[in-house]
Amino acid sequence: MKTSQRISVVTTAAIVLAMLVLAALPVRAQLPKDPEERAKLIAQIYAANARQLTVFDKDGKAVATVGPRDLYNQPVFSPDAKRIAVIKQDIEKECNDLWIFDVATGKGTQITFSKSREQATAPAWSPDGTQIAYAALRDGYFGIYRKPSNGEGMEELLYKASAPLTITDWSMDGRYITYFATDLGGGGIYALPLQASGERKPIEMLRSSSQVQGPRLSPDSRFVSYASNESGRNEVYVRPFNPAPGAAAPPDGRWQISQEGAPGMAFWRRDGKELYFLGANRAINSVSITTAPDFEFGKPKVLFRPSEATPVAPGTASVNRDGDRFVIAVPPPALRQLTVFDRQGKVVSTVGQPGLFNQPGFSPDGKRLVVMRNDPQSGNNDIWTFDVATGKGTAITNDTPPDNAPIWSPDGSQVAYVSTRQSYSGIYRKAADGTGEEELLFRYTPGAGMVLTDWSPDGKFLTFFTGVLSLVSLRPDQPALDRKAIEWLREDYDVVQGRFSPDGRFLAFLSNEGDPEHLQVYVRPFDSNKPEAPGAGAAVQVSKNKGGVAGMIFWRKDGKEMYYMTRDWEVMAVDVTMTPTFQAGTPKLLFKLNGPLPGNPTQWKNVTADGERFVFAMPVR
Amino acid sequence: MSHRTVVLIALAGMLMVGTAWAHHNMSALFDFNDRVTLNGTLNKIDWRNPHIEIIVDTKSGDQVQPWSIEGPPPSFFRTRDINKSDFEAALGKNVTAEASRARDGSRSGLLRVITLPDGKVVSACPQNC
Repeated sequence: MKTSQRISVVTTAAIVLAMLVLAALPVRAQLPKDPEERAKLIAQIYAANARQLTVFDKDGKAVATVGPRDLYNQPVFSPDAKRIAVIKQDIEKECNDLWIFDVATGKGTQITFSKSREQATAPAWSPDGTQIAYAALRDGYFGIYRKPSNGEGMEELLYKASAPLTITDWSMDGRYITYFATDLGGGGIYALPLQASGERKPIEMLRSSSQVQGPRLSPDSRFVSYASNESGRNEVYVRPFNPAPGAAAPPDGRWQISQEGAPGMAFWRRDGKELYFLGANRAINSVSITTAPDFEFGKPKVLFRPSEATPVAPGTASVNRDGDRFVIAVPPPALRQLTVFDRQGKVVSTVGQPGLFNQPGFSPDGKRLVVMRNDPQSGNNDIWTFDVATGKGTAITNDTPPDNAPIWSPDGSQVAYVSTRQSYSGIYRKAADGTGEEELLFRYTPGAGMVLTDWSPDGKFLTFFTGVLSLVSLRPDQPALDRKAIEWLREDYDVVQGRFSPDGRFLAFLSNEGDPEHLQVYVRPFDSNKPEAPGAGAAVQVSKNKGGVAGMIFWRKDGKEMYYMTRDWEVMAVDVTMTPTFQAGTPKLLFKLNGPLPGNPTQWKNVTADGERFVFAMPVR
Repeated sequence: MSHRTVVLIALAGMLMVGTAWAHHNMSALFDFNDRVTLNGTLNKIDWRNPHIEIIVDTKSGDQVQPWSIEGPPPSFFRTRDINKSDFEAALGKNVTAEASRARDGSRSGLLRVITLPDGKVVSACPQNC
């Protein structure tokens, strides 16, 4: 088997989103060894990512905050709604552990104690609230465990799994723990019987080539709700589980509960008469249910809609058994304003209204921006362009697959971006005015993610990185599916963000070749006739920042100045010459921003061609 | 929380060097339940991104059977104070590697743990578990 860049289909979408959308600051990666740098980075991670457990009533009114802000995920109410189980990340130890907080007092109790680089995730309460189940990685094996919810005693292994899984519920009759697992072939939802003697064997409730998630059994365990993207977008479905003889079967084997898209998070009320789910437009929906004698359901109605500044997604929110309390791990404000700065760091203008923006980039003429935008209504991540002068926005993509890493074509007439379709990440292009059909330019190895970073001045090459700096040749006579990635620089050190010089004779990039803990900007010759490797000569180091470089490499159009951003959010400029050989002067500080900033600087191409304007998606604080 | 969310968090590491380029959920390619322990000679290493690869020659009777084992990226080892030189020093020597076998039945796998000739045990978890 060729050991190339392959990951699961889930990871495919996830890696690019992680790198491009959620990388406001990393939550899990390798921390610097230097104590000062380490402390500074951890503080930044908390500032950018720490969430507040917040309880909402049925009208969407925040009625309580619970415990201190921290790196929480997966909050789940106890059956009596007096406690909240939640996963908390420990950055120093590089692990996740299960905590339980008392809603009234905010007092937290640590339930699991994972070793470094192990984890406990996905909690589910027993029906009587005395125990808690969770998935955990222990000594190299994933498993389903349970432990008393008062934290006392040892954890008990219930089931040893072959791969990662996500628990979503402990059935109200206490007989099953339900979970799901995903892989390149799709996904499955399962019920693990708890009362069986001998080795426990999960019951496969559904195996699908689509992604299926979040199984939860009705109170009588006769039906299971789940989310699936079988229609091209996530919807909530219900199907029979252990159907009684003669029970009416639904059409196509399941009932579709939501009709307008639903990320998931379907919870049954303890009487089985209502189901709650996260629907379109971030709305918490309820739908009336009848399970006996036959399954029937009503029309979903919106209970409330968290504000655009409070992103809610499966995994960050849940509903109590009575359906009258909702807990959301509320992140820091996520709205951003597209903001243009001059070389002194003074705000020149803002573009459009605040939104969930990332990775803005100037068009070659400096009159438009291309940006990733998360649509609060659909949850989709699409590519938009904005007119800098008027703020008018145009959707380039409008679809369910996550689109990211937008780059302008050299003439500004097109936009290229990465999108994940089924098991493949591909590079697509579309007219910059949003008209016409998109065109596939390149399709990568199944399951592998990538970050698109540049389009060569002659239009013949694209650059992307996966730790390896790769090129795609856009020879017009070559069909997209025949194009292969060219590994331009593949080393034992990291190489990211390839950026062509204006004359196409050099590629600038970030690497930690000289110091494993710090990325710096380097330049090496590029020969379009020999794109398999850098041209002769050693790499020239451009940046020399003690703390390293975050990204934002950019060449001024005349080739006489380069820019980059340090990890301290400093915008730097450096004089360069390209003839007869490449040489770089001493970097100078242009201005410093009040970080942390959202997005991934290793993709930013956010400077005007003349080097006079810089655009950032600034958090609305 | 879905795997998607887990991985979103796990891989959101672009501002720090040593990002986990290699891949976390490899269950579609490797069977985590089908594990093999290989005892043989470390014949070759490819210490590059996005993940390292080693060749371990095992013996079946008189026949040499090379196994290709995929590991995490170099940065994974670097942060654990394991370097390329540790593996280079093991070339031509006996190592023991535990791996999850490839689902296609080939003599390849995903590294879980390797014991180097000097007795040093290097775990590739949680990256490859």
